[in-house]
Amino acid sequence: MTVRSRPLSPHLQIYRWTITMAMSIAHRATGIANYAGTVLLVIWLGAAAIGPDQLAAVNGVYGSWFGQLVLFLFSFSLIHHMLGGIRHFIWDFIIGLEAGQREALAWANLAGSIVLTLLVWTVFVWVG
Amino acid sequence: MREQVLTRDAIANPKTKYGDAKASTRHFIVQRTTGAINIAFLLLLLFVVVRLAGEDRGAMVATIGSWYIGLPLAILLAIVTIHMRNGMRDILEDYFHGRTYSLYMMLNTLFCVFIALAGIASILKLVFWG
Repeated sequence: MTVRSRPLSPHLQIYRWTITMAMSIAHRATGIANYAGTVLLVIWLGAAAIGPDQLAAVNGVYGSWFGQLVLFLFSFSLIHHMLGGIRHFIWDFIIGLEAGQREALAWANLAGSIVLTLLVWTVFVWVG
Repeated sequence: MREQVLTRDAIANPKTKYGDAKASTRHFIVQRTTGAINIAFLLLLLFVVVRLAGEDRGAMVATIGSWYIGLPLAILLAIVTIHMRNGMRDILEDYFHGRTYSLYMMLNTLFCVFIALAGIASILKLVFWG
């Protein structure tokens, strides 16, 4: 009888890269990014609760080019994770699991998140 | 999870956490339910951020301070932190075991509780005290 914990699968470099694998990793990565990104939201809300000077300071940082870059990536991460979650919902209903379909959904996840992010920033920031 | 002997019985026994059907099903359902609700959170967040990005405190109080915006935002933020903790648990279970896992899981819980409390307190301050 051997003492061991859960069996491990071979690590990533063993496998040929596929779009479904890449989007699975991206779903986890964006999940971690969103997890950390909630700090940005709480800092903004907290500054507004504390006082006008604190809020102005946060607005200054978030409005700078670097702040805007981080917020742009954060918004992409949120949208990518949301579409990834919807993809998992579709799979939960045993739809889109066939060869070809699952790759199409993974590509749609990537393309959709890029298009939606650019659309949101175009409509609400760059033009609006 | 402690290191343990892997036998057929160990896997079948719910207490070993190898095949805890109830906990796993609950985890799955909670993650899907909160995930679906998070779509509503993102829509509300989009509305709030588009309206208030770069605005002063008066505008923040006027919008988030309205109970019909502030209270849903606070509730949805709480649901987000449940989803965060659940999702991070999935990741931690993949890479850590034993006491290391327990330590990281505790830090995960503390972080999510902190985000929930700090966010909700800030929103409630804007709603009830301006």
